[in-house]
Amino acid sequence: MKHESYDQTKWLCDKCQRELELAKVKVRYMEGNFEVDLMKCPTCNQVFIDEALALGKMKEVEEGLEDK
Amino acid sequence: MNLDKLLETGDRCIHKEPPTCTAQCPVHLEIIDFLSEIEKGNFQNAYKLMEKKMPFHHIIGRICDHPCEAPCERSEAGGSIRISELEKAVLEYGVYKPKKIWPLPKNKGKVAIIGGGLSGLTTAVDLDKKGYIVTIFEKTNQLGGRLWDFVGNSLTEAILQQELKAVTDKKMIIHFEETVDKSKLTELLTEYDAVYLGTANWEAPVEVNPVTFQVSDSALFVGGQLLNKTDSVIFSASSGRRAAISIERYLSKVSLTDSRDREGVFETPLQFDISSKEPLPPIEKSAGIYSQEEAIEEAKRCVKCQCRKCIEGCVHMRQFEMSPDAYIRQINHNERIILGTHYANKMINSCAECGLCKEECFLEISMNDVIHETRESMVERGKMPVSAHDFALKDMAFSNSSHFSLVRKQPSKEESKDLFYYPLISFSDYVKGLYKGTGKTEYLFYPGCQLPASYPDDIKSIYEYLVGHVKGDVGIYLGCCGAPADWAGQQGLMMENIEAIKKVWTEMERPTFILACSSCIRIFEKYLPEIKVESLWDIYVREGLPNKDHIKIPQTLSIHDACGTRENSDLHESVRKIVAKLGYGIEELEYSKEKTKCCGYGGLVYYANREQSNAFVNERIGESEHDLLVYCAMCKDLFVSGGKRTYHLLDLIYPKDDGESATRKMPTLSERHRNRSRVKQILLKEIWCEEPIEDVMEENLTLIIPDDVKKNIEDRYILIEDIQAVLKNAEAKNERFCNPDTGEYLARLRRDNVTFWVKYEKEAESFLIKSVYSHRMEILEGMEIAEEQNETRKL
Ligand code: SF4
Ligand code: SF4
Ligand code: SF4
Ligand SMILES: [Zn+2]
Repeated sequence: MKHESYDQTKWLCDKCQRELELAKVKVRYMEGNFEVDLMKCPTCNQVFIDEALALGKMKEVEEGLEDK
Repeated sequence: MNLDKLLETGDRCIHKEPPTCTAQCPVHLEIIDFLSEIEKGNFQNAYKLMEKKMPFHHIIGRICDHPCEAPCERSEAGGSIRISELEKAVLEYGVYKPKKIWPLPKNKGKVAIIGGGLSGLTTAVDLDKKGYIVTIFEKTNQLGGRLWDFVGNSLTEAILQQELKAVTDKKMIIHFEETVDKSKLTELLTEYDAVYLGTANWEAPVEVNPVTFQVSDSALFVGGQLLNKTDSVIFSASSGRRAAISIERYLSKVSLTDSRDREGVFETPLQFDISSKEPLPPIEKSAGIYSQEEAIEEAKRCVKCQCRKCIEGCVHMRQFEMSPDAYIRQINHNERIILGTHYANKMINSCAECGLCKEECFLEISMNDVIHETRESMVERGKMPVSAHDFALKDMAFSNSSHFSLVRKQPSKEESKDLFYYPLISFSDYVKGLYKGTGKTEYLFYPGCQLPASYPDDIKSIYEYLVGHVKGDVGIYLGCCGAPADWAGQQGLMMENIEAIKKVWTEMERPTFILACSSCIRIFEKYLPEIKVESLWDIYVREGLPNKDHIKIPQTLSIHDACGTRENSDLHESVRKIVAKLGYGIEELEYSKEKTKCCGYGGLVYYANREQSNAFVNERIGESEHDLLVYCAMCKDLFVSGGKRTYHLLDLIYPKDDGESATRKMPTLSERHRNRSRVKQILLKEIWCEEPIEDVMEENLTLIIPDDVKKNIEDRYILIEDIQAVLKNAEAKNERFCNPDTGEYLARLRRDNVTFWVKYEKEAESFLIKSVYSHRMEILEGMEIAEEQNETRKL
């Protein structure tokens, strides 16, 4: 579930005023644990998820797990 | 879940049962498929179906005495389908060269066939194909027997010759001019592993098993005219084929009798009602054989007899292309699966649980019950997808929280005494009702959760009406009956809810509940039979409508009955009486009263599968030219959203002056919450003169939401309170992203099991919302990847 979108590079972490970096992030749903490359703030670890990812790939994986 | 019982229900469904024509055809030609292929002009595919089922199809297809035709259902509506004529046409237009079949090695045992007529040849060819060494004894000098008598226009000598030659070309031994008598037969029985007797006449009577055609338990089998006692060619061929099956079973030493009840002619359990079809006479041939066009037209007259009663009424089954028997097989599979994907989940959560299927089925098969039980089982096993019903269950929790929930007795005489002094007010029925108050709650008005959400301003008026009109004190009880939990299969939650309602009922000394919502009515009937209920609509009929000037524009309306009221015919009558009294005409829909359809909300399909819900809405609103009249808040909501002018009964009883009530958009999901809170506030303040406790639903941030975003918010089941919470958190803790180029912010907050994201811009004191979305997956921010690495998978 690697995801890069065209506009996320412009986003900064507002708290830390830092640029986002691609990093391995743990995500969890039901019994599934995954490791995903996502953009996040290197200081406070806040992870950036855009609309296309949330409603696309993430939703698909959620539904897949729910039907397991 | 009892899966054996489930499968039994599936077996009872006659959807898959053959039509009478196929059942009465001794070789069971698949006539519906056969005719469908002709209808499409696919003569070759039709030919393949003949080849598959009919022995010597080039011969029989031309001379069959067609026992399938007389019982054809079409005979009651214009005349039987000319199946045999169509077979002739297919032999004319659909023949193709068969693929060469490589003969099996002949090593399976020796069989003697006595008589080279149709039945003997059928047995011989069938066994030869399966690898038996076959020897034919024919008393004349040619094969075919009485088939020669049929030579004429249809079956030409050339065709017959060619078919018989195909037999002699096989590697069977054929003894011509060899008569077999009783003593020869005894000899053959010792020499061969099995013997088939297919002569028309025999010197002594034989005792034959009617199922296996075996003579006692010997190696002798009988078929043809001797067995059938008729000269029907198709019965001859069929008996030859069935004898071959027996001989094979006999020589393989397996049961001769197992599952043979549907060989030959049988009575199909299918019951087909053709009365609704328009009579159509058979297509006449313009020549000896149907032309292709004529054949196509004739095939079109077939009504494809099959039970589809419930499917015709149910857009859910049609959407998933399911018949109950197939549906049940899928449920069975879904229930048994341990590892792997449960593909049927979505389908199971797309049924409206409306109950029309049972109503339509003469066997009373209820997919509603089957599906409901399945949902309960899924919940029990932890296999119910959370996202399907999460929103609805949270909505139910909201309604049963202090935001809405309320129980009050009728204001006492003592508390109300101020009212009695104002001469004007004291003339009102309401005040008179209060004056008669006894302190004993005879009735409890329970408007449910959706009606107050849709009609917040009418609840007080209805309450006052009730106090003024029914005999005895009327209390109020606000809450949710639990319908969402029931639909979601959440038995535990449902039972909790029922116990809570029972507790109030007992504490109030068992009053009669006055219900206004069709879902509540259904839930009370199902779970609370001990509580006496009356519907608000029945009371209006009995006590008279509130005194108002009702009639706006007299017009004709079609009544859409709520599916939860299916069995409540008194209620249907009450609603019609009210509509008539208000001065409207009524035109009944085809599916109405006990045969009504679901609006698309039932079974929570609205949340679990919006596309399916829309299909329900669209089908239903397409069924009426007139404006619809409904008496369930959700029906109104969905039909209006679908673009149909729809009145709720309350629109007519308590008309508003704010424009057109038939097109008024119903409140959004967030507004529904707020409206419920408001109803509680209004009642407390204006009826019970209590100072309402500060409502936590207050919105403190000012939001500006463009229409397209509003629509997304609705479609994504997101509430304004969620947005407010995200923004408050973002503003307080700076937990958000910013985009220096556009000045936009993007913030997220996890609430319970969902993470909400809001993209916004700040405009002075308000927030311009650019987009809102959510996901259920949890992002473990700041968790070290290194630990738990072993259980972490790559997506
Ligand atoms: S109408 Fe068609 S399917 Fe029905 S009995 Fe006749 S041929 Fe068979
Ligand atoms: S309960 Fe209603 S929606 Fe469900 S299968 Fe039956 S008719 Fe269709
Ligand atoms: S009405 Fe439906 S459930 Fe009943 S037998 Fe026919 S196809 Fe089966
Ligand atoms: Zn940061």
